[in-house]
Amino acid sequence: METAKGKRTKKTLLYAVLGFWAVVNIFPIYWMITFSLKSNAEIFGENIIGLPKEWIWSNYSAALTTGNMGLYFFNSFIVTGTTIALTSIVSLMATYALTRLVWKGSKMVNNMFMLGLTVPIHAAILPVFILLRNLKMTNSYQALIIPYTAFALAMAIMICGSFIENIPRELEEAACIDGASVYGIFFRIILPLMKPALATIAIFTFLQAWNELMFAVIFISDSKFRTLTVGIQTLSGSYTTEWGPIGAALVIATLPTLVLYAVMSGKIQKSLMAGAVKG
Amino acid sequence: MDKVRKNKTAIILFMLPAVVLFAGIIIVPIFMSGYFSLFKWDGMTEGAFIGLGNYVELFTSKTSGFPKTVQNALLLAVLSVFVQLPISLGLALLLAKGVKGEKFFMAVFFVPVLISTVVIGQLWMKIYNPQYGIINTALHAMGLGAYARTWLGEQETALFAVFVPILWQYVGYHMLLLYAGIKAIPTELKEAARIDGATEGQISRFVLIPMLKPVIRICVIFAVTGSLKAFDLIYVLTGGGPAHASEVPSTLMVSMIFGRNRYGFGSSIAMFIIFLCFFFAISIKKMFKTEVE
Amino acid sequence: MKRKLIGMALALVLAMGTLAGCGSKTETAEGNAGTAKGDTALTLWSIATESDSFNRAYTQAIADFEAANPGVKVVHETFENESYKTKIKSAVAANELPDLFYTWGGGFSKAFVESGKVLAIDGYFTDEYKAELPQAALSYATYDGKLYGSTYTTPVSALFYNRKMFEENGIPVPTTWDEWMAANRAFLDKGITPIGVSVKDTWVLAMTHDALTLKSAGPEKVAAALTEGSQSYDDPDFLASAGKIKELVDMGAFISGATGLSNDEASALFYNGTVPMYLSGSWMGGSIVTDAPNPEDFDVIPVPVLSGNAQSTDFMGGAVDTLMVAAGTKNPDLAGKAVFELTRGISKYAYLDGAGIAAWEKNYDESGINPITKKLADYAAEATSFTMWFDTLMDADDAGEYLALLQGLYVGNISPEEFVKAMAAQLDK
Repeated sequence: METAKGKRTKKTLLYAVLGFWAVVNIFPIYWMITFSLKSNAEIFGENIIGLPKEWIWSNYSAALTTGNMGLYFFNSFIVTGTTIALTSIVSLMATYALTRLVWKGSKMVNNMFMLGLTVPIHAAILPVFILLRNLKMTNSYQALIIPYTAFALAMAIMICGSFIENIPRELEEAACIDGASVYGIFFRIILPLMKPALATIAIFTFLQAWNELMFAVIFISDSKFRTLTVGIQTLSGSYTTEWGPIGAALVIATLPTLVLYAVMSGKIQKSLMAGAVKG
Repeated sequence: MDKVRKNKTAIILFMLPAVVLFAGIIIVPIFMSGYFSLFKWDGMTEGAFIGLGNYVELFTSKTSGFPKTVQNALLLAVLSVFVQLPISLGLALLLAKGVKGEKFFMAVFFVPVLISTVVIGQLWMKIYNPQYGIINTALHAMGLGAYARTWLGEQETALFAVFVPILWQYVGYHMLLLYAGIKAIPTELKEAARIDGATEGQISRFVLIPMLKPVIRICVIFAVTGSLKAFDLIYVLTGGGPAHASEVPSTLMVSMIFGRNRYGFGSSIAMFIIFLCFFFAISIKKMFKTEVE
Repeated sequence: MKRKLIGMALALVLAMGTLAGCGSKTETAEGNAGTAKGDTALTLWSIATESDSFNRAYTQAIADFEAANPGVKVVHETFENESYKTKIKSAVAANELPDLFYTWGGGFSKAFVESGKVLAIDGYFTDEYKAELPQAALSYATYDGKLYGSTYTTPVSALFYNRKMFEENGIPVPTTWDEWMAANRAFLDKGITPIGVSVKDTWVLAMTHDALTLKSAGPEKVAAALTEGSQSYDDPDFLASAGKIKELVDMGAFISGATGLSNDEASALFYNGTVPMYLSGSWMGGSIVTDAPNPEDFDVIPVPVLSGNAQSTDFMGGAVDTLMVAAGTKNPDLAGKAVFELTRGISKYAYLDGAGIAAWEKNYDESGINPITKKLADYAAEATSFTMWFDTLMDADDAGEYLALLQGLYVGNISPEEFVKAMAAQLDK
C-alpha cells in the first residue's frame, strides 16, 4: 500500500515535470502564431502574450504577396533537400572508410574532420566567397549546397561514427565469407543498418541549412536563387519594420519544419526498433 | 576480410568526396584566416604585414576586451556541459523508459530547436522587456517589484540573461541525440539487468549511461564547440552590450571584421576560436577514450 | 567482379555528384538573367526592400528610366539593412559588385573608393544635373575631390514630440536648452519619463549625443575634430555635450531600461504616447503617420542650441544615402547616366510619398505631403549647415569605438572627461 502510494505520487510528480517542460517548450509556437496576427502596437507593449485583440489575417497575405515567397520556399527546399542527401551519403561513405577500413592516417584524418566544428561561419564568408567566385558558382543553388554540406560534414561524420560502433564487425565478416565485395558490404549491410543515424543527421542538417542566413545573403544576389530566410529578412524596412507579416512568414517557414520533424521522429523510432531487433 | 578492409581503391573512393569538400570549404578558409591575421587590413584596400601584431593586441589591448570574451564563452561552455546536458540526459532517459505520451513529449521538447532564431530572439526580448516584459510584470504582481530589472541592459545581468535562452533552446537538440542513442542500445541488456533485480535508477546508472558514452561524448563536444562559437541569439538580444558585458569572441570578431573594417584583427580572433574549439574537441575525445579503455 | 564494378561505379557517381557543381549553371552567374536578347541590363542593389518606405520611389524611378531608355533594363535586388552592410563589404572584397549599388557616403564607403572598385562619375555629372542637385548635397559622395556617387535624400535629425502630451500637462514646447531641461523636469514631476531612446541600438543614442555636440561645438569645430584632425576632441565644448548626456541620464530623463530596448521597442513607446519626446531622423515623420494611432498629435522642432557656437538652423544629417557605380561595370556610360537619373527620380517620388526629404530641386507640386515631413523639408531647405552623423562621418573603426564609448558613458562606466579623452585617443590613432 505504502509503496503503491509512493509510486503514484512519484508518477504524478514525473508528469508534472514533463508537463511543465512541455508548456515551456510549446509556448514559442503559440506566441509565434499569435504574434503573426497582431499589429506593431500590440506586439510592442499593448498585448504581448494574449490572443490578438484584432485578428489581422492580412499579415499573411502581406507576407505571401511581398517578394516572391513561393519561389524562395522552393529554393530553400531544393537547397536543403540536396544538402541533406549529399551530407548523408558523403558522411556515411567517409565514416565507413574511417572506422572500418584499414589505412595509415585514418585516425588523424578522423580528428582533422573535427576542424569542421571549429570554424566560425563569419570568418569563412570571404574565403568561401572568393573560392565560389573563382569557380564561377556564385548565384546558383550549389553556391549554398556545397558550403552547407561541407559545414555539416563534421557533425554528420561524428554522429555516424557513434552509431557505426554498434554494428558488429562480425556481420561484415560473414558477408565477406559469402563473397561480398567491400562495396557490397557497404551498400547491403552497413547502409540499411545506419538508417537511424541517417534520420538523425537529416534532422540536424535540415536545421542548419533551412535556417542559415549569412551565406545565403552574401553568396546569392540574384533573387531567382534567394532562399526563404533571406526573403523573410527583406520584409523588414530600414528604419521601421512591420513585425506582423514577418511573424506570418515565419509561421509559413516553420510549419514544414514541424511537419517534417513529426514524420522523421516517427521514422527514427521505427528504424531504431528495427535496428534493435536485428542487432 | 583483411584484404577487403585494405582495398585502396575503395578507401580513396569513399574518402574522396568528403575530403574534397572539406579541403575546399573548411581547410582553405582556415589557412586564409591565418594568413589575413598577420596583416593590418580592412578587407578591401592594400594591407600591411604586421606579423603577430594582431595577436599581441588581442591579449594586451584593454579597449577590445578580448580576454573577457573568452572568459564569457568558457562560462557558457561550462554551463552547457553541467546544466544543459544533464537536463537533456534526464529527459532522454525518462522518455526512453516509455512514459505515456512518449512521442508527444519527444516532439514538443524539440520545438525550440525547430523555431527560427528570429522568433526565439523576439520572444525573449518580450520576456525580458523592462517596461512590459513577462518577468518584470510577474515580479510586480508578486510584490517583488524591487527585483525588476532591465535584464538585457544591465551589466550585471546581461550575460546570464542571454545565456538562459541559449541553454534552453538546445536542451532538445542534445535530448534527441541521447534519446536515439538509448534506443539503439539492445533491449536485451536492460532486460537482463532487470532480471538480475536492478532498479530503474540502477539500470540507467550502470547499464545505459556507460553504453551511451559515445553519444555523450558527441554531445559534450557539440556543446563546448557550440558555446565557444555562440553568436546568433547574443547578437539579436544584446549585440554584445551593454558596454561589452555580454560580448563573446564571435560577436567581437563580427564587429571587428564587418563593423569596423579590421579584417586582420578579426581574423586573429577567428584563429583563436578555431584553436580553442579544436583543442577542446580533441581533449574531450581523448578524455572519454582513456576512461573507456 | 561484376558486383565490385557496379559498386565502384556507384561510388564514382556519388563523388562526381559533389563536384558536378563546378560545370553547370555558370551562365546565370551575372544578374542579367531574365532579359530579352539585345537588352542591356543594369543590376542595382539597394536596401529599399518591399517593406521599406523608399521601395515605391525606387520602382517608379526605375520605370521612368526604363521608359526613357528603350532596350535598357534595371534589375533591382533588395536586401535587409544590417546584413546588406556585410554583403556590400564582401562584394567589394571579392570584386563581385553589381553595376549600381546603394551605400552610405562618408566614412562607410571610404575604403570602397580607396580599393579602386568604385567608378568616379564627375564626367557624367552634366550641367543639367548640376542645376538641380546642389553641390553641397554631394559632399559625402566626394572623396579626394572626385565624385563617386549621387544621392536622393537629405535626412536631418530633429526633436519629435507629442504636442498633445505637452498641452495636456501645460508644458511649453522648448526652444532653448534651459527650456528643454525645464520641460524634462516638469514631465518628471508629473511622473512621465520625458525622452525615448535606445541604447541597445546605439545609433539612436548617438543621434542625441551628435545633436547636442553640434549645438555645443558648432559645425566647424566638429568637422575639424572628427575628419580633419586639426582640433582635439578633448575640448570643453565636446565635454559639455557628453556632460549633458550624463545630466539627462542622472535626472532620469531617458526612458528606463533603454539599454535593453531596441529602436523598434523604444519608438513604439513614443508612438503610443508613453513618452513625449524622441530625437530621431526625418524618416520618423513618415513612421508617425503609419505607426502612431493619432499622427495629428505629433510635431517636430529643431534640437535646442547649447552655446553661441551653433545656431538653431545648424542640423545633423545630410545626404548619406548614395548610389555608386562599380568600376567593373560593363556599361560605364549607361550606369553613369543611370545613377543621376535614378537618384533624381527617387528624390521626387520618395518626397511625394513622405518617405524622405528631397535632395534634388523640387519642381513639382508638393501640397499633398504630410505636415511633419513638409516642416522637416523646410528646415533642410533653410539649414545653414549640415553635419553628418558621427558614426557615418568617421571611418568604420573610429565609429565602432565611438558607439562603444557612448554605451560606456550612458551606463556610467566612464565619466564625460574619460569619454572625451578616449575619443581624442581613438581619433589620434
